[in-house]
Amino acid sequence: MTTTQAPVAPAQQNTSTDITVEVVYRGIFQKTLAQRICRGVVLAARKSGHPGTAFARYGDSPERNGVPAKQFAVVAADDTQLEASMARYEPSVVDVTVAVDDTLVKGVESWAWYGRQPIWKPTKADGFVIVTSDKSPDEVLAQTDKAERPYTLAIVPGGASFAGLWVYKDDHTDWRVLGAIAKVAPEWLPLQQVKALVREQTKDETAVASVQFGHDATVFRPVAVGEGTSGHEVLQFEKPGWTTMRPGIVVDARKPGERNPFYKKYGARTQRPVVNFDTCIKCTMCWLDCPDECFEVTPTGHYEVVYEACIGCGICAQVCPVKDCIVMVDELKFDENQDKWQLWQKDRAAYNAWFEQKSGVSAEPKSKAAAAATGGDD
Amino acid sequence: MKMAVDTAIGHGTGTLPQIKGVKEVPYDELFVSGHRTCQGCESALVMRHMVKASGPRTIVLGSTGCMYVANTTYYTTPWVVPWMHTQLGAAGSAALGTAAGLKVLMRKGKIKDEKINVIAFCGDGGGADMGIGAISATLTHKEYNCLVLLYDNESYANTDIQLSSQTPYGAVTTFSPTGSKRRLMHTRWKKNMPGMMAAGHPESRYVAAGCAAYAVDLMNKIRRALELGGPTFVHTLDPCPKGWDYHPQYSQELGHLAVECGIWPLYEVVDGVVNLTGPTRQIAEGRKKRKHVSEYLKRQGRFAHFVDEDIEHFQAEVDKTWEEWLIPGVIPFTIPQKDTRILNIDKKKPLHAEATA
Repeated sequence: MTTTQAPVAPAQQNTSTDITVEVVYRGIFQKTLAQRICRGVVLAARKSGHPGTAFARYGDSPERNGVPAKQFAVVAADDTQLEASMARYEPSVVDVTVAVDDTLVKGVESWAWYGRQPIWKPTKADGFVIVTSDKSPDEVLAQTDKAERPYTLAIVPGGASFAGLWVYKDDHTDWRVLGAIAKVAPEWLPLQQVKALVREQTKDETAVASVQFGHDATVFRPVAVGEGTSGHEVLQFEKPGWTTMRPGIVVDARKPGERNPFYKKYGARTQRPVVNFDTCIKCTMCWLDCPDECFEVTPTGHYEVVYEACIGCGICAQVCPVKDCIVMVDELKFDENQDKWQLWQKDRAAYNAWFEQKSGVSAEPKSKAAAAATGGDD
Repeated sequence: MKMAVDTAIGHGTGTLPQIKGVKEVPYDELFVSGHRTCQGCESALVMRHMVKASGPRTIVLGSTGCMYVANTTYYTTPWVVPWMHTQLGAAGSAALGTAAGLKVLMRKGKIKDEKINVIAFCGDGGGADMGIGAISATLTHKEYNCLVLLYDNESYANTDIQLSSQTPYGAVTTFSPTGSKRRLMHTRWKKNMPGMMAAGHPESRYVAAGCAAYAVDLMNKIRRALELGGPTFVHTLDPCPKGWDYHPQYSQELGHLAVECGIWPLYEVVDGVVNLTGPTRQIAEGRKKRKHVSEYLKRQGRFAHFVDEDIEHFQAEVDKTWEEWLIPGVIPFTIPQKDTRILNIDKKKPLHAEATA
């Protein structure tokens, strides 16, 4: 049910006094990218005489690789309005949410202790959620939490850009997203001014063309209340107030065998490892080198990923000596978090079919030697 | 006579035998999942291996840094063993104080007289910059059993990557950005922390340099430090995807490269005797060829501004540590030719002879 015409809902005339855009991004990887988008919004709006400011959420600092973080751009009609809208620690309601990695629609578990929040949580009713993705709006919506307010999902074509920190590997995601923002908020960010800004800053017509492309190619999908998935885990915690904290700020240690239930971190994942148990040689390397203690030893001596604890760094796939035994797969291909060894144990054919379908590689052992190495446990 | 009585607790109890291979690595996790570290955080892996090696009867003390902030903020922790925060620069003092406190409590019979491992960890900022004085003092107090572990990710990574004394030559940090006027803002060579600790503290029985990419080697070093007792020191090099700017999946590979390029030699000094370990030993014995530093440097965004000249300089400095130092990679003195005889050094058979041939 994809529609490309612009929705009717957004304010045609500029009746509001300010606009807030938030950029949700993967910590560190996309920090520079988010900065460039927020700065672009402010500088383009300045061209029509609107003052604005860009800032990062304090609670996200220090950022961690992959852990979702937020930056904001606030633009107002005049300085007084800007000051009024700036008197917030973190904007709780935003007009436009931008997610620069589509796996973020599975929910945002911040570095700070906020639990997991739907991507649209701060988006106002009839606001916009812009997602950069090479998937269709319906595919993205199928992984987004069930809407509590109507909003419009806007897909900017393109994969996630992990542009880097010291070295900004420019793939024009910033320009395409600015073009998309110009499409959803033309009253604050006229396309011509965004293009003028980018032309001025880059002196590069291909960058200007990317703004135009982002504007033209962005696909809208109006989302009604109740659309989306209710399959994601609810992670909400009661935060202790200062009166309930114990003297000396004593925190309970974890019990042996337990995992930290208050911060699961799998929301940091853009890819997840899937394991071909048939080719596993039980060398222990994935388990040994996992910095997040996410592997469990099974009774057969295999190592299974506990997806609730895996943050998708990819070290296991990298250190695994067997080709295609551990494959990193796009997180958006999964709608559950179940551990998989049980399934393999129960029905190997079904498991291997699942493995092949997700990973796109054959589950067949590559050679007789590899088969022999795993055959001992039957 | 040795002070046998005074140092009896925890000495050579044999409770922490050396691990023979990956299959012998203890399965129990004492540092569990759900910590606020980066994807691919090698320092988190050091924490995990550290307590795996030391076992459940361990108290850990952490001075401010990534491994404090990431592991105990927002009223929740992944630690199974008791942990206490201590200030930046105080890892040495906290280790010594805790060890002394336990000793007194045991002597007075207030707690059971048993072996409790005390490990204080600190980052390169908290240890090699701010905490070096306290660590040094601790390493002179031979009657207390405590290990100071310095996890070195070569910058103040927690507060967003400021330069430390462990930041390598030329690397970009927020304090040393590259620019059009000056390409290199940081031109000081990394401080030789484990070598300094070993050379300067004759009564510390154990000082080692390790890397979590060589997990069993690292766990054995932790165990040997705790078994030998007295104040000991272990320094680990931890590839940091955040500050070094590489994809987190390559953390292990960069650890391997740092060692294989000879930039980070693995060794231990046991009762004053140097023992090279892992690939460092193979390189020194000439069984393995030292890789060119460009293999390591070119994998990291923090060196992306390097031109050939910088890489050559880096290589020359590393070569110097292998070819000219009194003990390759460990003790940084060179000896004039005329003095090799009086210093009793056989220049004909340097450790690196075949490796550099």
